[in-house]
Amino acid sequence: MRSALHRFGVLCALGSCLCGGAAVAQPEDGQAERATQILREVDDLWRGSSSHARVAMQVKTEHYTRNMKMEAWSKGKEETLVRIVAPLKEKGTATLKSGNNIFTYLPRTDRTIRLTSGMMLGSWMGSHFTNDDLVKESRREEDYDAYISFEGERDGRQLLEFTLLPKADAAVVWGKLTLTVLAGSYIPLEEIYYDEDMQVARTITFSDVKPLGGRERPAVLHVVPADKPDEYTELVYESLQLDIQLSDAMFSLSSLRRR
Amino acid sequence: MNLLSLALRNVMRNWHRTLVTTLAMAFAGIIMILFAALMEGLMQASERNAVAMNLGDIQIHAPGYRDDPDLYTRIEQPAALLESLRAAGFRASARLYGFGLAASGSTSAGVQLRGIDPRAEAGVTQVHRHLLQGRWLDSGDRDGVVVGRKLARTLGVVTGDEVVIVSQASDGSIADALFRVRGVLKSVGEGVDRAGFYLLDTAFRDLMVLPQGAHEIAVLRADRDTDLDAATAEVAALATGYETLDWRALQPVIARILELADAQLVFMLLVVYVAVGMVVLNAMLMSVFERIHEFGVMKAIGVTPWQITALVFMETLVQVSVACLLALGLGWWSARYFQLNGIDLSGIASAASIGGVALDPVWYARITPDALLLPVGFLLLIALLAVIYPAVKAAVIRPVAALHYR
Repeated sequence: MRSALHRFGVLCALGSCLCGGAAVAQPEDGQAERATQILREVDDLWRGSSSHARVAMQVKTEHYTRNMKMEAWSKGKEETLVRIVAPLKEKGTATLKSGNNIFTYLPRTDRTIRLTSGMMLGSWMGSHFTNDDLVKESRREEDYDAYISFEGERDGRQLLEFTLLPKADAAVVWGKLTLTVLAGSYIPLEEIYYDEDMQVARTITFSDVKPLGGRERPAVLHVVPADKPDEYTELVYESLQLDIQLSDAMFSLSSLRRR
Repeated sequence: MNLLSLALRNVMRNWHRTLVTTLAMAFAGIIMILFAALMEGLMQASERNAVAMNLGDIQIHAPGYRDDPDLYTRIEQPAALLESLRAAGFRASARLYGFGLAASGSTSAGVQLRGIDPRAEAGVTQVHRHLLQGRWLDSGDRDGVVVGRKLARTLGVVTGDEVVIVSQASDGSIADALFRVRGVLKSVGEGVDRAGFYLLDTAFRDLMVLPQGAHEIAVLRADRDTDLDAATAEVAALATGYETLDWRALQPVIARILELADAQLVFMLLVVYVAVGMVVLNAMLMSVFERIHEFGVMKAIGVTPWQITALVFMETLVQVSVACLLALGLGWWSARYFQLNGIDLSGIASAASIGGVALDPVWYARITPDALLLPVGFLLLIALLAVIYPAVKAAVIRPVAALHYR
């Protein structure tokens, strides 16, 4: 799952948090060491060295509803390739994330475009994710400090809640993130993004836990922006393979154009 | 008593002083005419760049669009509104705006897509005549676009090059299309220079999947001399439910500067002419003191104080009239020169702008009736004010004392 998310960047929610676990938390907190330990463990559980997934995305906004199917590959933390399979109008459109750069291939005009910093806060493929989400996703570890903010029973389930605070010098748009996972299996349940005024900005809910990529993972991510509660972006994992053989050439500009 | 011939004779008696006084006044007049013409040129250029390049006199937006330029905040029935505006004697052009990424080769830049109808737009703005290179949009050339100057430089494109636009269409899908640069604009204003991307409204609708609506309607009065406020009220009455603002409200900075320019001219006139007034005062006072004996004789033979006052005024009037004619002639001539041959400021300031509205790097003077008559009128006024004291001084002379004055 971690790698799947990673590959999407978009799915930053979970992946990054898990990543973030590797970051060292508040030193005065005796639990910091343990939070790091657990998050790292969680992270290891979910991370693959490479991945391949088929995902359906539904975006509902005030003005449109759209359904897309895409195929995504990832390798390591820095390289992600997403290719749209449906609808027909956008078939073949591909996004390559390589390090801090995002390239988009547009089949209709047969052009590859590198997104400039000005476009980073723009919507990715019309969803509630931004291009910035895609880039920052793998940088969580450097950008945030994590600690366990809640541990115990809530709504009849044993939970762990992590809070991630941006480091002082990190160039991030969020004020705080919280991630809730099941205590035993570390299956993520919910992630909440707070803006710089510490108001909830968006919520990602994880559901439909089922066997995916060889173990139980939530197959559905449901993203709701706080300022527009009627809108959402939903990602449904249709298949996921982890730790597969992928060549580096897969994540090159030339492979972007391949259909 | 022939006042004029008497005054002329008196003026010629000390022709050195007369020459210096007259030339001083004429020189000040010439300078002020030139200054006024240059200011007028600057202001007209600013107003032209603001109004004629982009704003129009009046603009109509859907409520809230100006605060949050959203693709979905639209004027729903622009065709009907345009129709009624044109029926009321206005020129009007509907515009579509959107944001996107323009890419050429390996460079890319954020752009403001500006979908326009070239024919309607030409009735409202002059931007189609403001090309650095290439040609303006043509409704027959669907892929042709015109870009701002700095944008062209950022993207490294010239006329004939291809540009890809990527954006998000109104249905959420990816909007991408290939365009060809038809023309590059001269400096119009910071926004247009840096991100202006003009394309046909039909091409915009296809690209952004936006079959109807418009984001802005720019309106121009057919007659520039009609009252802007009245015209704005008239447009607002036609565009009920929408926000109607004149360009002064849309560009308050420019409006303020233009207002201040008039005050600035008057202020400059006062400063320069107070000095000229001193010269006149001094010269006439001298000439009165020199002739105290003479004025005493005149009074003794029955010339009234009013007539003496009139004489001194006439002497001044003769000098200031010559000065005014000189100022008009030479001022017009020098202003005319700068009207035809602008002052090239590009070496000093490459791209000056006021409130986001670019100024041409070449500064042209502009001769208007005001620019000619205001300095001359003020010159006349100041000279006649300055001579009040000497004239009164001459008028109230007591004949007996004056006759013995040495």
